[in-house]
Amino acid sequence: MATTMTERDLVLHATAIKRHAPLPAIAHLAGLPEATAQAVIDQAVATGRVIEARGAYALTPLAGVALTARYARHFADVREDAAFVGAYEGFERINRTLKQIITDWQTLDIGGAKVANDHSDKAHDDAVIDRLGALHEQAEPILAKLASRLPRLQYYADKLLAALEAAEDGDPEWVSDIRRDSYHTVWFELHEELLRTMGREREE
Amino acid sequence: MGSVKLPIDDVLHAGPPATPLVEAVLDLVRERIRARFGESALDWDAFALTAADDLVTREDIESVEARILASGHRFDWSARVSVTERPDAHKPDGTASEANTGFAHPEAPSGDADGDGKALRGLGDNVVRYPTDIVGQALYVRSNERVMELLSSGVPTGAIAIIDDSGGTLTAPIIDQFAGVVCAGGSVRSHLGILTREYNIPCLMNAKVAGIREGDRISVEVSAPAKTTEDYQKGVERVARVWVIGEAA
Repeated sequence: MATTMTERDLVLHATAIKRHAPLPAIAHLAGLPEATAQAVIDQAVATGRVIEARGAYALTPLAGVALTARYARHFADVREDAAFVGAYEGFERINRTLKQIITDWQTLDIGGAKVANDHSDKAHDDAVIDRLGALHEQAEPILAKLASRLPRLQYYADKLLAALEAAEDGDPEWVSDIRRDSYHTVWFELHEELLRTMGREREE
Repeated sequence: MGSVKLPIDDVLHAGPPATPLVEAVLDLVRERIRARFGESALDWDAFALTAADDLVTREDIESVEARILASGHRFDWSARVSVTERPDAHKPDGTASEANTGFAHPEAPSGDADGDGKALRGLGDNVVRYPTDIVGQALYVRSNERVMELLSSGVPTGAIAIIDDSGGTLTAPIIDQFAGVVCAGGSVRSHLGILTREYNIPCLMNAKVAGIREGDRISVEVSAPAKTTEDYQKGVERVARVWVIGEAA
């Protein structure tokens, strides 16, 4: 489907999803050259739409309100598209499983008490990564359907696969580390993207 | 109708409006008009020239203001009567300090200070068990504006955030700066639970607190057993406590 989003809105939208991110990450998610994104961001900072703090950018509240209002036009087509809405609902269903898997990844059961997983039990970690791999197989047709309607969303499919493969190759930080595009980081951003696309609120 | 361009869209070819407030108002009004036009099944001229006066309602326009206020924005005022009549919609006039008594959950327990000077002020679900309880200053973070301030100025060292955003959407940019989090919603499986575990930040979810003021020194019982998925399924009561141990100056 043709997008009605201007370069400015693509950059502001990416800034909203990233919440507080340096320019290269915003440009990458927006699918634009860094110089283009930088020009939009500079203008947005100068006019009170974006603030810069510690080398990263965040949307200001009013700019967020205006952007959300413009989604009504930008995403009108996909909100009326049964295949897209069905794929979104499929994502919400497996999102519950994903949250449980990540919770299990972060915790260990020691004598009936849940404590922080220090990743010393490789068998536990491998089992959780296997479950993540199984979940990803469920996610793939959903991601494909979403990207068939909004090609921009292929970004998430590529990033999720890369994170999963890195985790399976033995670097467990790619499961849920917040300081990189780990599986959970990208999944969380995709959830935010889809909530904005559909005009829904996060439940928790 | 889908995403088609209406005569109200993209009319300012010169660029976006000068101020964020004007842009927000214009885009919110356009959104309401688009929705009402879509419902009307009229052609644009019939809608715009006659029907819109009835189909676009007072409530539509009030919702525009409500959404701007919900973002945390407060209007500038030119006459003090504006602040007196609608204090929630305007910037404070500087004559009264903003009392911040925070959350007051009806089921929050409370108690007088015990022998150690700890007064019970709430309960919550512990996300991860830590060896010792944490102590810090209560910091309410409930609006985007507050998050923006903290992004710029930095979160005070040792602050324990008290929030109601269990998705972590609002506080995500600054969450790694908190010494602890008390969240009045969600569960230990919420995204915020996942985020705080990842950052190794002690956190209570589903908290019921009352009588904690901004700046109070509080202690959070994160040495209590963590709440598990099975606890939720079986309805097991397993809570961690929050105490005030020193009131804000």
